[in-house]
Amino acid sequence: MKLFDPHIHMTSRTTMDYEAMAQAGIAAVVEPSFWIGQPRTHVGTFEDYFNLLLGWERFRASQFGIHHVCALSLNPKEANNPRVAPGVIELLPRYLAKDGVVAVGEIGYDDLTPEEEKYFAVQLELALRFDLPALVHTPHRDKKRGTERSLALIKDMGFPEARALIDHNTEETLPLVLKTGCWAGHSIYPHTKMDEVRMVALVKRYGSDRILINSAADWGVSDPLKVSKTVELLRQSGVSEADIERIVWENPLTFFGQSAQLDLAELSTAPRIDQSRLFEGNSVLRGQTPAVTVAAKQPGSATR
Amino acid sequence: MHNPLSYDQPRPQSTWHHPPAFAPLPIAELLLDVVRPRVGPGGREWLERAVADLRPSLDRDAFAGAFTLSARRVGKALLALSGEELTRLQGSGVTWTLTGWGVDELSRSMLLLRAAAALPPREFETLVEECYGRGDSRERQAVLRSLALLPAADRFLALAVDACRTSIQPLFEAIACENPYPAAHFPELNFNQMVLKALFTGVALRRILGLEGRITTELRRMAADYASERRAAARSVPPDIDYVLGKERSPS
Repeated sequence: MKLFDPHIHMTSRTTMDYEAMAQAGIAAVVEPSFWIGQPRTHVGTFEDYFNLLLGWERFRASQFGIHHVCALSLNPKEANNPRVAPGVIELLPRYLAKDGVVAVGEIGYDDLTPEEEKYFAVQLELALRFDLPALVHTPHRDKKRGTERSLALIKDMGFPEARALIDHNTEETLPLVLKTGCWAGHSIYPHTKMDEVRMVALVKRYGSDRILINSAADWGVSDPLKVSKTVELLRQSGVSEADIERIVWENPLTFFGQSAQLDLAELSTAPRIDQSRLFEGNSVLRGQTPAVTVAAKQPGSATR
Repeated sequence: MHNPLSYDQPRPQSTWHHPPAFAPLPIAELLLDVVRPRVGPGGREWLERAVADLRPSLDRDAFAGAFTLSARRVGKALLALSGEELTRLQGSGVTWTLTGWGVDELSRSMLLLRAAAALPPREFETLVEECYGRGDSRERQAVLRSLALLPAADRFLALAVDACRTSIQPLFEAIACENPYPAAHFPELNFNQMVLKALFTGVALRRILGLEGRITTELRRMAADYASERRAAARSVPPDIDYVLGKERSPS
């Protein structure tokens, strides 16, 4: 079964992660732009960051047989920084129409401040203007209230619910999201957010409609294999293959496919790996013999 | 750099504990007296020269150099104040104990206070913002711990609120813990978010100065929701939540 990780920050990960992900069956990822761990102080660093997601990172993923697309935004935390927020919003229209930008995101609330709300709304407008779905982060603190307010804002603005993915859900927020037409993401983490066992319980209770799972792996304690590990546990727990496939393949494909930026034909075949290629003169290799395959039968087998 | 943010929420009322407005030079003198006996002869010589170099007018580059070099020249030993020093500080209105400060942070704080006395307000604000914006984690920590000592400390509210968004735990604790600034200056929303982040990151609530005076219905609601979220996830609930909810008389 091919797996899709619809929320992972690969710029923070290593080539060994890419190899392990490909081996575990991950064929496609969405990398949303986010907070890099400390505040940025210039708008220009966002430009380089967006270029990195669209360029080098996509190439790097391709070298391990993984299809990499991204979501771009001003993240919720930095919506509070008046030194960068207006400039990033000015920059976004230049980037949202580029190939492989499948959503506006992560956007949403962090501290639930008025500034966050303002830029959340502004970016929902941008999503409408660029005909893109929206990936909505829900806060760590005051999560339930943050989720309620996110859903209310989407509704008040008339943003199509089918084009909004509300992420990082918990036992208390999932039912709120499913009551609307929005999609519900779950970040499976080693310690916080959601774990595999709890996720199995949620799937047994709520099924697979509009439900997605992701690793949200980044520079913190996280695990880029959480999607495959959760699949394993779902399977052991007796969840049907059809339900599992809907959660880890069909749902992300349908949701992000709304951007018309996912090449479904390309995704349905195993990727061709050619590590002899260069990106602006750079290779991911450090002296190794380039792996080149024409058509791998199993996703990931080509990197071995 | 840190333009004032727009806040819709009510600001703290005057009944909340406000540290006194300090005259910067006497406090700077007092801090220098605390630093001196804790550094070796070389460091002391450097310190006296650094202070002298800021007179009669304050040169920005000299200041930035001294601010950064403090860690190397005076060292980062953890302060253990003598009873006499504590009494002197408290007599001058520094009623909190400077728990966790290093000698370098005291030196940096002293330098900031000298700059406050030497510069027009707007220039001083820019200087503080630069020390923070270009600072490494320890320099930022020194700025955050100094805020409550600075004249018209309210003007650094945006910087302090933004500091709470850090993922670097010692930096978060420099503003949230053993620091009178948040309780005295933060609007309700930001204060509540800080308390929730403390619960999230396992910081004991007794370390938040002035918390008892800032517990509101909304903070109780947020704490109760957090406890409910933890229970739904079959996870342990931080015991300090009971203090916020009024079930315990003091935090753990």
